[in-house]
Amino acid sequence: MFFRLLMESFRRQRRRKLLAGLAILLGTTAVTAMLALATTIGDRIHQELAVYGANIVVYPAADQLEVKVGGVDVKPVSGGALLHESDLAKLRGIFWANNITGVSPELPIRVVGKTASGMSVDAAATGLWFDHFLGKADALKTGTAAMHPWWKIQGSWPKEEATTDTGSEAVAGTVLASHLHLTPGTVIQTNAGGNTASRSLRITGIVSAGDDTDNQLLLPLNAAQQIAGTPDAVRRVEVSARTKPEDTFARKDPDTLSPAQREIWYCRPYANSIAYQIREAIPGARAEQVRRVEQSEGTVLKRISGLMWLISAAALLAAGFAVSAAMATAILERQGEIGLMRSLGASKTTVALLFYTEAGLLAVFAGGLGYLAGSGLAGWLGARIFASEGPASAGSLLIPVLFPVVVTLALLVALAGSTPAIRRALTTDPSAILRAGA
Amino acid sequence: MENLVDQGTRPDCAVIALIGVTREYAGHGGVVRALDQASFSIVAGEWVAITGPSGSGKSTLVNLIGCLDRPTQGELVIDGVSTSSMSPAELDRFRADKIGFIFQQFHLIPYLSALENVMLAQYFHSMTDAKEARSSLERVGLGHRAEHLPSELSGGEQQRVCIARALINNPPILLADEPTGNLDAANQKIVADLLRGLHATGHTIVMVTHDPEMAALAQRRIALSHGKVFCHPVNGPVVSLER
Ligand SMILES: Nc1ncnc2c1ncn2[C@@H]1O[C@H](COP(=O)(O)OP(=O)(O)OP(=O)(O)O)[C@@H](O)[C@H]1O
Ligand SMILES: [Mg+2]
Repeated sequence: MFFRLLMESFRRQRRRKLLAGLAILLGTTAVTAMLALATTIGDRIHQELAVYGANIVVYPAADQLEVKVGGVDVKPVSGGALLHESDLAKLRGIFWANNITGVSPELPIRVVGKTASGMSVDAAATGLWFDHFLGKADALKTGTAAMHPWWKIQGSWPKEEATTDTGSEAVAGTVLASHLHLTPGTVIQTNAGGNTASRSLRITGIVSAGDDTDNQLLLPLNAAQQIAGTPDAVRRVEVSARTKPEDTFARKDPDTLSPAQREIWYCRPYANSIAYQIREAIPGARAEQVRRVEQSEGTVLKRISGLMWLISAAALLAAGFAVSAAMATAILERQGEIGLMRSLGASKTTVALLFYTEAGLLAVFAGGLGYLAGSGLAGWLGARIFASEGPASAGSLLIPVLFPVVVTLALLVALAGSTPAIRRALTTDPSAILRAGA
Repeated sequence: MENLVDQGTRPDCAVIALIGVTREYAGHGGVVRALDQASFSIVAGEWVAITGPSGSGKSTLVNLIGCLDRPTQGELVIDGVSTSSMSPAELDRFRADKIGFIFQQFHLIPYLSALENVMLAQYFHSMTDAKEARSSLERVGLGHRAEHLPSELSGGEQQRVCIARALINNPPILLADEPTGNLDAANQKIVADLLRGLHATGHTIVMVTHDPEMAALAQRRIALSHGKVFCHPVNGPVVSLER
């Protein structure tokens, strides 16, 4: 009989139920979309921000501090410890190797010499990877250009294959270039040092970076190593990795954690745990998280998710009011039935249960549909907001964990929304209802 | 005017006893006293007709006896239990067990068949039993119309479904508020015969009616005027009342 009453109610009050269901559907669609985006937005924003620089920097453990002034490493090349370029391939073997999207080793040197026109040169220079293949099988093609996509080059990047025993290619920063009248094609002849021979640097391009790099020469790492007379040497390595946003757990010192907790910490792609794994992999290395990018990422995330919560709450509230209005008329139409049921001995609880079950069923159906629609919407929005490629940007964003969450929210909204109408119907005197039902 | 308390029944064998029952409604135009200090009792198996002009408080009285409403003042005792001492849940239970309502407007649920309308009362009482519900319909002569919707039945037939529903849980007390008010003479006779049969099988019947013919069927008439009760044992003294 209970089901018969429910079924008939849905059959007869189709329009009212449809209206209430639609409200729940729209509300849950918005909420699902927001939640789905909020949970994946960290990855997406990182993908966007990752191109703006490294988030982990690796340097020799012997250096307690990086001595950088205005972005220039003022520590003498000769002094200070060095890393081995050959060790960098080990980055491909760490637990989160696949999250590493860019590796850029640096070796700062000084270039002292003359241009062909007789202009004397004494400039800071950095040896870098440009298009370097790291690893053997499925090597990661990486380098400074990929990690600094905003650098503008006039001409072309130097090629490491072009480095010979007597010379190599190089690019000059715009400021330095205008200072020394360097143009693509200019050749700088370096002075012979104690144990190094004179070498030629052929300028292939002028780079504009917008920072101190503009005062430097950039040349392939192998060439810098030859000039400095330090084969295989690397001063510092910038690493760009896809990470999970930092939380309190991320900031824990793994060595103070219990083995089980440490295992969990280790297996989460926090910048900290990736840095930790890099330290383990590369002998004599320190690896630290660079906060700059992570922090801006964090604030962006916080703002966006705040906005999303607001929109979600508003959508649910609106759904609640719509359900409330639809249920009020639906129940008003059935006042007579309620009076009759009460005269037959139905308790308030029984009658309330009937209407709440109705609202609940509606919520589950509409909420389920809303979940599907919202997942689709999230996929679409995601593709719009983050015009990046990647598997998540295409199609809908089905996150199964959200299903119970969304349906529960729909239930809460429907039950809360129908409560005023049900209460009013039940507090009305049944005898008055029956009298009025003439 | 003065209240005349019926002397023909002894309160100890009364199935329904009202002691100074008042029901006031707080309307927009002030307080309306629909029932004013009503005191009388009805014994088990009695058939009582309640008469009086429109607005005199007849429906109010029936609803109070049916525990659909509570007195503003006074005490209502049914089957030896004071209703004021009962919790709302107990009242609901009590209503399901003891009271069968017969309405002037039938109050059938339009989307349920005759059979289902009867089963609804079973559902709120205990559990549904289609066979029993069907035999209740047969008892009012509607076995063959069990699957019909109320809209497919005549007024008299609808009232018989309403009676079948009131009887289904076998309540000792039947409350009928103008059961023939919407019926023609032929249907009135059918309903009157049904009530007569029910009275013969021991049901206590409290029936509101405007119709003198119907009122004449009852053993006793309770007249209301402006909420006050006058009792007229017009149909002769109350005789043996064992159920
Ligand atoms: N819910 C209510 N609120 C206010 N006044 C009410 C309410 N119900 C009934 N009344 C008033 O109480 C009085 C008695 O009403 P009741 O329905 O008992 O009369 P009645 O004798 O059944 O009349 P009728 O023969 O027309 O059915 C009337 O004056 C009516 O207006
Ligand atoms: Mg009335």
